[in-house]
Amino acid sequence: MMTNFRLYLQGVKVALSSRMAYRGDFFMSMIIMLLVEMGAPLLTILIYHNGASFPGWTMYEALLLQGVFLLAKGIAFPFFFGIVWNTIGRVQEGTFDLLLIKPKSVLFLAIVTAFDSEDLGKLLGGITLFALSLSEIPPPGLWEWLQFAALFFIALTTLFGFALILAGLGIVWIGNFRVYDIFESVVNFGKYPAALFSKSVQTMITLIIPIAILGYIPATALLGKPAAGTWSAVTVSVVFLLFSLWFWHWMLKKYSSAGG
Amino acid sequence: MIIKVENLTKVFKSYQRGNTFGEAVKSLFVRKPIYVHALKGISFNIEEGELVGFLGPNGAGKSTTLKILTGIMHPSGGKAEIMGYTPWKDRKKYVAKIGAVFGQKSQLLWDIPPVDAFYLNKAIYSIPERSFKKTLHKMVELLGVEELIKKPTRQLSLGERMKCEFIMAMLHKPKIVFLDEPTIGLDVIAKDKIREFILEMNRNGVTFILTTHDLDDIAHLAQRVIVVNHGEIVFDDSLTTLRNYLGVKKIISVSTMRPLPELRLPGIKITNRISDYKAELELDLSKYELNKFIALVNKSSTIMDLSVQDPEIEEVIKGLYH
Repeated sequence: MMTNFRLYLQGVKVALSSRMAYRGDFFMSMIIMLLVEMGAPLLTILIYHNGASFPGWTMYEALLLQGVFLLAKGIAFPFFFGIVWNTIGRVQEGTFDLLLIKPKSVLFLAIVTAFDSEDLGKLLGGITLFALSLSEIPPPGLWEWLQFAALFFIALTTLFGFALILAGLGIVWIGNFRVYDIFESVVNFGKYPAALFSKSVQTMITLIIPIAILGYIPATALLGKPAAGTWSAVTVSVVFLLFSLWFWHWMLKKYSSAGG
Repeated sequence: MIIKVENLTKVFKSYQRGNTFGEAVKSLFVRKPIYVHALKGISFNIEEGELVGFLGPNGAGKSTTLKILTGIMHPSGGKAEIMGYTPWKDRKKYVAKIGAVFGQKSQLLWDIPPVDAFYLNKAIYSIPERSFKKTLHKMVELLGVEELIKKPTRQLSLGERMKCEFIMAMLHKPKIVFLDEPTIGLDVIAKDKIREFILEMNRNGVTFILTTHDLDDIAHLAQRVIVVNHGEIVFDDSLTTLRNYLGVKKIISVSTMRPLPELRLPGIKITNRISDYKAELELDLSKYELNKFIALVNKSSTIMDLSVQDPEIEEVIKGLYH
């Protein structure tokens, strides 16, 4: 365990040194990432300042939801979501083989060599938005914090599941960076209160593709008004994670039996 | 026996695509599968400490064999036992004991110095600090790259990068090292340094399996040559035997005082008549003995200069491929 942790830290150090070789680009990329992710919160502020609202949600509650969503992405993207681009790029260049000749799990090595420092901008944005909106709502109690922590952890595992599926697709669907665009358009539903959408969309983002768990469900728990279907969404998320792990290993087997 | 390979086969499934626009559109909906037999049951054994060259034209099955033996790819059939492991079944335990250098796939990281990539490998292989530093020091000295390993990889020449790739592959002290075209694109000096390094490591007991298109690599390094063509082994023996395989031939260059005769005799083939006094020719020793040839030319034209060489290995290999 400690050996793997040390290896992960070494991977982070190497990725940071590599990225910081181009200092200007390093800081610019972080700022651009932050600005791109600020689109939804700015739109929310604009809506509320023009007298409109999300039914049942104050502006700061809506911003908290978006802060939770951005915080989840801000942790996932730098620390493990990079396996998507790492895998697609390596399979395309033919260097995915180099992971297979190392005495570690291929998935772990794909994570270790994929730390993405540019996405630290998302984390910074997530922390700021979450802290600012939290300071404008009544302080949550211990029980709300505990529920939030558990659901937020599940949100991270769900993002890990998405990363595994996209990376797995990248193994057989060579050079297709479009898979990320599809993911990005689908998860956009997670930035807003589920009640805004029709019943069928709500069912889809809660019980079929677990998107509501990425922001909406943990935020409602923190606000002390847990969403209906929270337990079902948790169950679906666990099943989704197990499916994505199986999918990754299936695709990896396809690679090693076909030779990439 | 460190490597035992028995009846290894590999069949790839591919799809036929047309070359016209209509066929390309059709292939979006209907694709005809094609089965490519990359390996048709190859078998060989390798002893500990051997340095074996794998030769073959493009698509012969060299890289497929190498990928199977390094645990990257699963075969369609057959067995392989290397140091007691089946590469594709015991991948993690097995790859901890092997090293690999791919001439066209770098293990170094472009924007940071090689030494940082070495430290990443140290963590991957859990190499103890003392052993790591000792091995690194030895390798760096042998290859003469003390200053280079601290420069960003992108600032190094191809030869310098390749030396660092070798260090990367040797840090965990592998017992077997697979080399896939390790000298591709290198200048003569860099090639010599790399070859010296391989020979030194081999003298220390490391087994090497080398695939290459550069026959000079084979001539300088390999004690044994395995030639693969169309997924089958067509030759497996020493380099000397390989040279003798298609008949004992010598390449002769001769200069004389008086004009050379026609030399239309069995076993003598003039390949380049430079002038009346100078020519290059191929002599088949099984049909015409060298001393008789020298006596014949000296008597008719008086020899001023004469050189006798073995045929180029390329010519011998070409003969095997056909």
